[in-house]
Amino acid sequence: MTFKVKIMKTNYIWLFIIGTYVLTGCDLEELPVATTSKNEIFGTETGLNLYSNSFYNALPSGNDIVTEDYLSDINARKDRIIFLTEGAFNATSTEAGWDWGSLRNINFFLSNNEDPAVPVQIRQHYNALAKFWRAWFYYEKVKRFGDVPWINKPLDVSDPQLHAGRDPRIMVMDSVIADLNYAIEHINGNDASRTLVTRDVALAFKSRICLYEGTFRKYHSELGLSGTVDAWLTESANASRILMDENNYSIFTGAGTELSYRQLFTRVSPVASEIIFGRAWDIGLGLLHGANWHYTSSTYGVQLSPIRTFIQTYLMTDGTPFTDIEGHETMVFSEEVKNRDHRLKQSIRTGDYTRISGNEQVSALPQFSYTLTGYYPIKWSLDDMYYDSDTRNDNFVSIFRFGEILLNYAEAKAELGTLTDADWAETVGVLRARAGISGGLDAKPTVADPYLQSTFFPNISDPAILEIRRERSIELYLEVSRFDDIRRWKRGELMEMPWDGIYVPTANQPMDLNDDGVFDVYFYYGELPPVGERIPGVSYLNITPSPGNLRTLSNGTSGEILWLTTQPRTWEDKLYHYPIPERHRILNPNLGQNPGW
Amino acid sequence: MEKRLRLLLESGKITYQWVWVILTLPGLFLGPESKSQALITNLNLSSLVTAIDHTNLFDVEVTGRVLDANREPIPGATVSVPGTAIGTATDLDGRYALTVPEGATLVFSFIGFESQSIAVGDQSVIDVILAEDISSLEEVIVVGYGVQKKMNLTGSVDQVTSEALEGRNVGNLTQSLQGLMPNVNITPLDGKPIQSPAINIRGTGSIGQGGNALVLIDGVEGDPSMVNPNDVESVSVLKDAASAAIYGARGVFGVVLITTKTPKKDVVSVTYSGNYGIKSPVVRPDFVTDGYIFAKMFNDIFFARDGLYPQNINKTQTFSQEYLAELERRSEDPSLPKTDLDEFGNYVYYHNTDWYGHLLKSNFSSTEHNVSVSGGTQKSSFMLSGRYSDQGGLFRYSTDEFKMYNLRARGSIEVAPWLQINNNFDYSTRFYFNPLNTGEGSSVFRNIADEGHPTSPLLNPDGTLSYASAYTVGDFYLGNNGSHLDRTVIRNTSGFEANFLENKLRVIGNFNFQNINSDELRIRTPIPYSPAPGVIEYIGTTRNDIQNTLDRTNFVTANLYSEYETNFTEKNYFKAMVGYNYEQSTFQRHQYSRNELLFPTVKDVNLAVGDNVLASGGYDKWRIAGGFFRFNYIFDDRYLVEVNGRYDGSSKFPAGESFAFFPSVSAAWRISEEQFWPISDQVISDLKFRGSYGSLGNANIRPYTFQEQFSIGTGIILAGARPRTTSMPAVLPDGLTWETATTRNIGLDLSMIKGKLNLTGDAYIRHTSDMYTIGMTLPATFGTTSPRGNYADMETKGWEMILSWQDMFNVADRPFTYNIRLNMADWKAEVTRYNNPDKFLNDYYAGMTVGEVWGFVTEGFFTSEEDVLNHANQQSRFTPRIGTYQPGDIKFQDLNNDGIIDFGRNTVEDPGDRRIIGNESPRYTYGMNLNFQWNNIFLSGFLQGVGRQQWYPHQETANFWGQYNRPYGDIPSWHLNEGMIWSEENPDSFLPRYVTRGGTGGLLRQVQSKYLMDASYIRLRNVQLGYNLPINIINRVSVSAARVFVSGENLWTWSPLYKVVSNIDVENAVAPSDQMYTSGNSGDGYNYPMLKSVTIGLNVTF
Repeated sequence: MTFKVKIMKTNYIWLFIIGTYVLTGCDLEELPVATTSKNEIFGTETGLNLYSNSFYNALPSGNDIVTEDYLSDINARKDRIIFLTEGAFNATSTEAGWDWGSLRNINFFLSNNEDPAVPVQIRQHYNALAKFWRAWFYYEKVKRFGDVPWINKPLDVSDPQLHAGRDPRIMVMDSVIADLNYAIEHINGNDASRTLVTRDVALAFKSRICLYEGTFRKYHSELGLSGTVDAWLTESANASRILMDENNYSIFTGAGTELSYRQLFTRVSPVASEIIFGRAWDIGLGLLHGANWHYTSSTYGVQLSPIRTFIQTYLMTDGTPFTDIEGHETMVFSEEVKNRDHRLKQSIRTGDYTRISGNEQVSALPQFSYTLTGYYPIKWSLDDMYYDSDTRNDNFVSIFRFGEILLNYAEAKAELGTLTDADWAETVGVLRARAGISGGLDAKPTVADPYLQSTFFPNISDPAILEIRRERSIELYLEVSRFDDIRRWKRGELMEMPWDGIYVPTANQPMDLNDDGVFDVYFYYGELPPVGERIPGVSYLNITPSPGNLRTLSNGTSGEILWLTTQPRTWEDKLYHYPIPERHRILNPNLGQNPGW
Repeated sequence: MEKRLRLLLESGKITYQWVWVILTLPGLFLGPESKSQALITNLNLSSLVTAIDHTNLFDVEVTGRVLDANREPIPGATVSVPGTAIGTATDLDGRYALTVPEGATLVFSFIGFESQSIAVGDQSVIDVILAEDISSLEEVIVVGYGVQKKMNLTGSVDQVTSEALEGRNVGNLTQSLQGLMPNVNITPLDGKPIQSPAINIRGTGSIGQGGNALVLIDGVEGDPSMVNPNDVESVSVLKDAASAAIYGARGVFGVVLITTKTPKKDVVSVTYSGNYGIKSPVVRPDFVTDGYIFAKMFNDIFFARDGLYPQNINKTQTFSQEYLAELERRSEDPSLPKTDLDEFGNYVYYHNTDWYGHLLKSNFSSTEHNVSVSGGTQKSSFMLSGRYSDQGGLFRYSTDEFKMYNLRARGSIEVAPWLQINNNFDYSTRFYFNPLNTGEGSSVFRNIADEGHPTSPLLNPDGTLSYASAYTVGDFYLGNNGSHLDRTVIRNTSGFEANFLENKLRVIGNFNFQNINSDELRIRTPIPYSPAPGVIEYIGTTRNDIQNTLDRTNFVTANLYSEYETNFTEKNYFKAMVGYNYEQSTFQRHQYSRNELLFPTVKDVNLAVGDNVLASGGYDKWRIAGGFFRFNYIFDDRYLVEVNGRYDGSSKFPAGESFAFFPSVSAAWRISEEQFWPISDQVISDLKFRGSYGSLGNANIRPYTFQEQFSIGTGIILAGARPRTTSMPAVLPDGLTWETATTRNIGLDLSMIKGKLNLTGDAYIRHTSDMYTIGMTLPATFGTTSPRGNYADMETKGWEMILSWQDMFNVADRPFTYNIRLNMADWKAEVTRYNNPDKFLNDYYAGMTVGEVWGFVTEGFFTSEEDVLNHANQQSRFTPRIGTYQPGDIKFQDLNNDGIIDFGRNTVEDPGDRRIIGNESPRYTYGMNLNFQWNNIFLSGFLQGVGRQQWYPHQETANFWGQYNRPYGDIPSWHLNEGMIWSEENPDSFLPRYVTRGGTGGLLRQVQSKYLMDASYIRLRNVQLGYNLPINIINRVSVSAARVFVSGENLWTWSPLYKVVSNIDVENAVAPSDQMYTSGNSGDGYNYPMLKSVTIGLNVTF
């Protein structure tokens, strides 16, 4: 027995020794191998560059850019707009826009980019990039919410700033401009691909932001910031002026008055002479956008279609308003598109527009399977039908181009009251000349256009401001958010404009949209003609008022097409700013709420 | 001798065949009992003749009674003469009568009793008393690092043996375990043969780190779906903390121990088993295939919402009222062509295509061959087994293919009387091909719902694909695209077993390495289709690439443990075990892809020539080390105590937190062994109460979670390339500790009526505390996810039981044995602490029951305009596109009586007009095995089911919503059943007015009571009919045992769901879309159909 116990003990002691040795001598720590660490990222320029690439993720997607005008006054769409439906939109409807992730990413970078192993100029260049993107971040926030908290460091879990209230717009925007000025001063290098943020991009952005802020404060007198307006407008004009004086960019006219404008939006490589910044696409690199899908599908997008009230603002080629023409109200589509500003036929389908099917050019009139108004936008989409479904577009998507800079300059000067004939000639004059307009290019206008004034801007009497606004809505159609312009001009009421379309002289008669002697569309009131009586190739559209039918004519059996009159759109001034999402007010009650919500 | 033989034959005492085999094939197995063969190696004719010579050929009549220890009769006991067909069974009084040859020996046997042999001699009356057999209590159960007699168990452990796995024709071992043991929850996500869901034991364990059961194969972590099921001896499940504590932090949510067969000493056997099965989908998705009905309803439902007539059927067909009229005309006159050309020369289609008919075969076959050779002497033993298994694919074109190969070599050798060396080598490799849809990238089932319009054909007249086809089955028809998924596991365990002190002290050590290669070769090419004769266009042009993913895991395990077992005195039993375990896992990923394949048939990246070359890696390493012990003490077979503990360390935790100690204790009381126990052991033969308590940490967590990491990704196009990018790391928590699950378990084991009736029951409460979840929701200005921490608690309560009955009686003078085993379980988990003080409904909250479903209450359909006006305002939150609601539209109940139907603040206190309307967790899960055996014929059945489960169909589920979701969607055939769709004549229908995009106002997309489906079910998982070939036949061909059987899987199912939804299998329905394509869900049920099968099989032992 003793012997047995002894052996047993020896065994256990032996096991215990081994066990203790292995357990205590065993350092279990494991470090990651497939990821890297802070020292490596911030201790080398390669690391800084790697990190700075993530800032670009803040850019809107290609689809978001080309569909930015899904919310605007001058386009009809197939559905009601919840944002404009009375009682339907409130602080619990969406949390969109209240995301702060990209800001933390920037602030984390700015707080950690201080490794002396990297030369100070290089660190400053990357800090400048970070600050450009912080300005980008805050511009979007302020546009959407007005006052927002200004945060310039990565906050700790316990930081009291998390529960602080919002900072005033004036403080936030001053900080934005400080960031942008730093960016303009410290970003190095040029970029022919037009996809990297350079000093010029920062200047272009400054031109845009300052115009927005200046005019917003001017027309929203309820903010009590009128005293700061001129300074902002001057900053905008100055930023634009630098780009104009340096002559690195010009208005592209290389393809003539009928093609140059549209090629800015359809070429795969950016038109680098005019485009300052944008997003590139490449099937080989696996990144494409879906503009054609949005602008050709009756189910995928919202069937965005410009309204007639807007189409009528396109000038005649001699520079006179279309709306000055006697009987323009009852002009049919095939007539009204003649002799207009050449941007019209580069923005919507007109009679001679053709598309490519396979290898063939085919006539492509407005298809009522898509267009709600009869006007069919083509600005971002490509002519080849190959691109129509799925995400296939590879055309460069411009975000800043010189054309906008010229318009920003003209508008800032006009709002400041310092616009000269020379200013006019080198801005609006140049743009109109590219569009084939011959008259009124050299001197600023002296007569207010009554159509423009009464329909869109009754509070504006300055003929130059009116014309610059016309120019902006045409030149930048579907490009730089029209809703931003509506907000800064304080013209939210325009969102209530009826969604009108082409003029139909009489129902129950076939119409020819391009004067080729072949009928294209037939609006029927009452019963659809039986199959045997229908003309092959003609679209039959019901305009009979009934609960289920959303397309009617303004005079019943004749007149302009009216779309979706059953869903009234209502503007209220509280809509100039979105509400702070309710859930986030619960999390931080100090945020307060915007007026009216 | 011949004369003697003839005499024998004429007397009928010995069957002719038996004698014949003996005479002509000496040196082989002898005896009719296949399972207890004795090899007669030196038998020769003369000794046999001598044996026969000595047999007395005169009959003797024997009668008597068979009684138990209490002199109670045992009915149904078998009385037989071994080696002959002579036998009978006792009647209700235990009486028997038998005519036997003089000099014979009688064997008396009955289930639950020890058999007894009595030489007849000159007796004519033989009464026997059979002693109760406690072998069922002596049954050995595999537990952590050892075995335990069932009688001595104090924790909660279940075990099934190989018999429960025999004859099953399912994809892999995991699938065959579904439903076999209570609260061992296995929910397959689809019917693919590689489907092997994680095994959950006793319900949701953690909503933080998560975690499932640890699966060990012969003591080493492994993948059960790669094991040869024929190799498996037993599957044991450790459920409570006390049983699993020996595995420390990985065993926190239970342990599954799979033990493979070991070679027997002194026996050589060769076994072949094979089977051939025919498989088919349990339910074939059934959609309207009549093109005109589809198009007409598409037109109606589109117009009802949009107020416009559609111009296209989604992307792939143009549409107009003229087309619809023409389609109607052609559907009435089938002689008209189905494909035509329009004025521009484009194809126009008027078909009635059954896309699922093109997609799925009606049936396909599977085969399996398994050979094992096993043999041994007293000093060494060896076993070699090999298996080939394949399953033809379900798809008609580019079919999925499954093949698997297993090889196991296992042996041991006695180096010294006290030392045995053993080795267990296992190689498994599996090939699976899964075709892909390149067009939109998601699964073919979803793509058929979106683009498989019955009006479009698979092929144009010239053999090219139609546009609709290119998005769906046409891609398979061309057969270029798919994923080749290859997985290979190589495992080897080398070990020793030493024993000392008359086997009281044992030391066991082993070392295992395991290499797991999991590879995917994915090929995607654009799909050509033809919109007009002679014109070829492509879809999927951005997905023109070839990608290789090579995942490598090297796994090393070492165990060293020692146990000492002794009886101090007669009444004191003591056993102690201590050990050490070390494991290390290194994972590496190598992934590369390149675009632009030179030809669509390319299979290697060398033939891809594009500029988009992507390469990425991945690396994970973790190590664990633990020391563990177990002490057992038993006093007088009445009082049992066990103490377990493990000191565990894991590299996944930060320094200072990487080690922790996890103890547990369990005890049992066999009350039936007490002196005072008053109940006759005829009624209750054994009764044991068990109780356990233990606490385990949870190490189911990704490595490096606690380290600041900058991961590298790919960004947008900058300056002509897509540069790599990195961004801010996740915010790390300050202090951290292990999640802990504390389990209290009580149980009882009851054996009644001489062991015929057995009951095992357990109830438990598991409290998972300090779950590692996201932190307090911080204001969004924090800018990233709140750091995770030990912030939540949960309580899971449940029970499980196994009730079995076994008995026998005589049918036509032959014993009929049968047994029934019912298992049942339930659990319910409640979150008791969570960082959601405002109780927002989009997250967990304290007080939440796992699986609960919040929704509106469907009051009915609006009946009139007046009804719309009088009802609470539903319109402001759910605005109909055309202004107002109409009769037939869904009406929600204004639960909070505020006059408006809405979501409130989306919190528990203010949920608007929603409340908890059900629960999606499976409850009352059960399984039932039935076995019958009579005269070499056996019949078994295995039923499995879920007693209560609710399912709210995901909005994209076409099998349920049809065109109510997408107007161009396929129409489930059941939508056309009478009374399904609302109309003025049919106001009490199941579905509302025919309006697409979720009905008017999108109301169908809101979870609501009316469409919460009952997805409980009962399913006949398996039924088998088999026959053991009579020994006198098979011995002619040198076979000692042979069995043929027919086995059916999933042949019958009933679910209340089928009362409404008849076109989707209930298990497919509740599962999300094919997880091979997305971790999200693009619609419930868009997954590979569950399969049923009929299999014939043969098992032969030589």
